[in-house]
Amino acid sequence: MTDWFPLWLSLRVSATATVVAAMVGIGLAYLLAKGRFRGRGLLEAVATMPIVLPPTVLGYYLLTTLGVNSPVGRAWERLFGGPLVFTPTAAVVAASLSALPFVVRTGRAAIEDVDPRLEAALRVAGHPEWRIATLVTLPMARRGVLAGIALGFARALGDFGATVMVAGNIPGRTQTLPIAVYDSVQAGNDSAARTGALILAGIAVVVLLTVTSLSTRRT
Amino acid sequence: MSTADAPSWTRRAVGVLVGAAVAMVLVGCGADGASPPGALEVDRITVAAASDLRPAFEELGQAFEAATGTSVTFSFGSSGQLREQIVNGAPFHLFAAANVSFVDEVIASGRGVATTKADYALGRIVLWAPSGVALPKSIEELTDARYRRIAIANPDHAPYGLAAEQALKSAGVHDRIRSRLVYGENISDTFRIVQSNNAEIGIVALSLAIADGSQYTLVPAELHEPLEQALVVTSRGEHGNAAAAFARFLGSPAGREVMVRYGFVLPGEALPTS
Repeated sequence: MTDWFPLWLSLRVSATATVVAAMVGIGLAYLLAKGRFRGRGLLEAVATMPIVLPPTVLGYYLLTTLGVNSPVGRAWERLFGGPLVFTPTAAVVAASLSALPFVVRTGRAAIEDVDPRLEAALRVAGHPEWRIATLVTLPMARRGVLAGIALGFARALGDFGATVMVAGNIPGRTQTLPIAVYDSVQAGNDSAARTGALILAGIAVVVLLTVTSLSTRRT
Repeated sequence: MSTADAPSWTRRAVGVLVGAAVAMVLVGCGADGASPPGALEVDRITVAAASDLRPAFEELGQAFEAATGTSVTFSFGSSGQLREQIVNGAPFHLFAAANVSFVDEVIASGRGVATTKADYALGRIVLWAPSGVALPKSIEELTDARYRRIAIANPDHAPYGLAAEQALKSAGVHDRIRSRLVYGENISDTFRIVQSNNAEIGIVALSLAIADGSQYTLVPAELHEPLEQALVVTSRGEHGNAAAAFARFLGSPAGREVMVRYGFVLPGEALPTS
């Protein structure tokens, strides 16, 4: 009998994380592409950091900032009656941060690629900036933005290091598919490890094909 | 691609967002539903257990569920990793460590109920190699050049790794083989390193060698500090009684039978001479 919980949990966690990363990430991408303000470089560096940071370092920082001994962790415990760490929600936080840089970087490049003359024309015609952004800039940059979201989803689904540190390896509760693969290898359960690995590899291929088709069929 | 399909793109995006929002709510419910303060549903307890216990505890978990109706979910890792998680608020009800020092640390941090601390077994280490590799008859033979990589668990946070290191030092071979040591994350990781032929030989827990049904050479217990395996009920409050019941089950005749079969020496029993 195969336990499908890890796959189901992984899909739930990474779908939620993708939505969070998309909402925050598109906003940040737009700000970085269009905004001219002090600390822009620093903001971009911080938003991109999870790509280059070892996941364990990200996990360590999350455990320190969200753990039961941190102000955030304590406030969470007061509000919701239980610690944030070692819950599926903690896995969502880790996965969202892992996915964010992909949305920000790819999205920013796509937004910068939109012909500025088009936006200038609308500006001259008296349209407010938010209308230009939602009616022209973002729709025209959608392929790049979607490619970033797809990559972010794949990264969220694949996270191991940060998730295992901040959410642990609790079967039936926080054991995502990548962690289940690791656990199966440790337990000597080769067939479960093989199934999990195959599913993750399959999803990765589908995501990469999607990204390729998004970036090649340009008009 | 023209503006003609922009509306359909928008609709799709909205669909994805709505779907994901529903998923978010589901995850939220999962997170909250599992730990409502005070609610008692003792159909399941979660146990953090040192990974030398995996084969024995998986069997015991099933027997416990059959006897009491309470199922047991295990999270296996090195005692140090699990201690770290519990100190940081991980939702375990019972902690079964490979060495009593980790239990003491959990109690000192305020996350373990001191009165529930109990020794439940003495662990043993063995030299183990997959079939096809000549098994050394003693730890001194590890200096033989045929053992190019020797796997032990990380002594920094895995008690079985520390015991292996102590045994190597007591036998006076540690310095000579130090450069050939490779470290597993915990003792079952170490076992897999050897089993997959990524090391010629390993020093692993007796319980894992027995579970595998293969040959091993027992390392004399006097070469290392005793692997005093102890447990403690965590101070989360919820499910404390069920966790204590599982701890008692380990010492029951049915529990002892399983532990002995996996090579553990139980409290009150003499250490068999190797």
